[in-house]
Amino acid sequence: MANEKTDVVIVGAGASGTLYASVLAKAGKKVVLLESGPDWQLSDLISSDFWGRRVKPAGIPFLLEGKNPYGYAYQAGWGVGGAALHYFANFPRYMPNDFKVKSEHSRGLDWPISYADIAPYYDKVAAEIGVSGDAKAEEIWRPKGEPYPMPPMKTFRNGDVWKKGCEAIGIRMVPAAVGMNSTEFKGRPACIYDGWCHVGCPIGALANPQVTYLADARKAGAEVRALSTVTRVLTNQAGNKVTGVEYYDAKKEKQVQEARVVVLAAWSAQNPRLMMISATDKHPKGLANSSGLLGKYMMAHYASGTWALFDDDVENHMGTVGAQYMSYDRYDKTSKKDAFGSTFIVAGTALKTSDLGGFANARLDLFGPKLTDFMKRAKRGITRLTAFGEEMPNVENRIELTDGKDEFGMPLAKIVHSFDQDAVALWNANFQEGLTIAKETGAKEFWSARGNQPTIHLFGGTIMGAGAGDSIANSYGQTHEIGNLWIAGPGLFPTEGASNPTFTIFAVSQRGAEQLVSEWSAIAG
Amino acid sequence: MFEIERRALMKGAALSALTFTAGGAKFLLSPRQARAQNIAFKTLTPEQVETLEAIGETLVPGSKEAGVSHFVDQQLSVPPGEALLEARILNVRPPYANFYRAALGAVDKASKAHNSDRGIAQLKDDERSAFVDLMRHNKIVGWQGPAGPFVYLVLRSDAVDVVYGTMEGYAALGIPYMPHIAPLKRW
Repeated sequence: MANEKTDVVIVGAGASGTLYASVLAKAGKKVVLLESGPDWQLSDLISSDFWGRRVKPAGIPFLLEGKNPYGYAYQAGWGVGGAALHYFANFPRYMPNDFKVKSEHSRGLDWPISYADIAPYYDKVAAEIGVSGDAKAEEIWRPKGEPYPMPPMKTFRNGDVWKKGCEAIGIRMVPAAVGMNSTEFKGRPACIYDGWCHVGCPIGALANPQVTYLADARKAGAEVRALSTVTRVLTNQAGNKVTGVEYYDAKKEKQVQEARVVVLAAWSAQNPRLMMISATDKHPKGLANSSGLLGKYMMAHYASGTWALFDDDVENHMGTVGAQYMSYDRYDKTSKKDAFGSTFIVAGTALKTSDLGGFANARLDLFGPKLTDFMKRAKRGITRLTAFGEEMPNVENRIELTDGKDEFGMPLAKIVHSFDQDAVALWNANFQEGLTIAKETGAKEFWSARGNQPTIHLFGGTIMGAGAGDSIANSYGQTHEIGNLWIAGPGLFPTEGASNPTFTIFAVSQRGAEQLVSEWSAIAG
Repeated sequence: MFEIERRALMKGAALSALTFTAGGAKFLLSPRQARAQNIAFKTLTPEQVETLEAIGETLVPGSKEAGVSHFVDQQLSVPPGEALLEARILNVRPPYANFYRAALGAVDKASKAHNSDRGIAQLKDDERSAFVDLMRHNKIVGWQGPAGPFVYLVLRSDAVDVVYGTMEGYAALGIPYMPHIAPLKRW
């Protein structure tokens, strides 16, 4: 069934898709957002670890391969709001050294833009959706910018003990920048520090899209079609323009939505899958893929966690799931010997009992009466420090179509991912430093949260670059080969830095969306 | 501006107890209540229930009474998109019943193979602990099924959920639960 032609169809109603929808709808464009999952409301966000799993994917069409298979389901989104419906809302920014890794170290890739190009958009996003933090304090590591619109969040003893430990070995900690309200902001209430951020904040104190960009987009007239799975991007006969998308609606009926511009904001793995599935005789390797780099350079963060157990109460039930403190003191790419890449350190988080991040998993080796005893000892005295590490882009980490099919008969894809020696070495070095810090906290016991090397966040697959020979899109997200096909999200990032990516996703998307509006006639005409 | 209306909040709360069926009627119950009322299982066989309760109790004491088998069974009867199982976020591919059948079958077979044809429910406490310890280290010779350490992780998580993840579990530990939207019936 064909629908009335629209100005823009956006595939995916997560962080970047809703931002695009907001900017474009407010500019007067007719916007349709297609989202494969449900239309979650704030009242769906029950404060419970297991009820919170409903807002995460259940069997999305990816197979997982490689030495370090990508663990998507815990951190991916399903439904409006995407992963940003249940994210931790840590809002650190990338540093100037993240944008020029190849130029400065002959490793990895360069972004086609610098920190200075993105910086104004960090400030713009912060003013728009609300960020709490201390910008002045951060300026020991980065160029000066605008102050955040809200002061830092409250801290609790579960974070303060780590600040003491870090400072004892010369690591400076400053208040973490978070997309949460330390005070009332634009009619949204201040946070009450109950630590249920990760299952969705229903009061609007945390900047999830339901209360920010999606709300704005709807107010400006954007239409959201939930439970609508896009299966193909459609192109004209010449192959130089997209004409819309094909999708299956909530009743599993096939639909076509024609549009002047298509924005793919479906997730770093799903965007290249869709572009590969949409191959034509003009684009035999997938849309906008003359470089052969579509689906390549997939990257993930990894974390080295350290647990510390105190005899006394560290108020570990209080706070947010985001960080209270952060440090870029190990962010230089060569800060660790024989382990190239940045490290970003955060501390202070409210803990729950169950789920992957719950403290029942702090000693995964324990079961039976020993677990019972541990839970009693840890209930008020345990706290965690986390060091995120950076992986360099590797062309072998990739998305590929497989012979399998999804429920709509479209090819499944696989994510192939392995960490290189640097990533493993940095992961290990950060565990070692975590123990050194923990020793200085005065904790009764401390240990590394070792297990399989985790994969956190997902980047690449549709990287930005100078031209069609070395990348898929330009720095705004416009594909090099099809001017009205745009990509949004961390799939554009040529390198991943080490800090949480959402603030940068928003900033890059804001820059792209504004460019699309300003050049609308040339792009959509 | 973003306050949740009471009506919407109640809708959210009503979603948060599990639906069990008895005598053709549907009831909103916690898994503990479902077990206490001897609600019939929909998906798991009696042998699978026995195995799940035995290994669950070995992993997390209290999980049998807290209704781990009713929790898993009820969850296997709902569409994957509604499932609350930790398997969902551990990248297990739906339908999740396939994983549980394979995992519980592997536990049962391995236990019988190494313990004179006794399933895990028939083992003594110290024998069960030794079995689980070998399983989590992937050291059970002839193990057939999903990897032992992964089975350990998933079943331990289910047992943790019903004992420690509920409002009752928080209260028992003395941790303030502090919900925005509380799950109904302390579940």
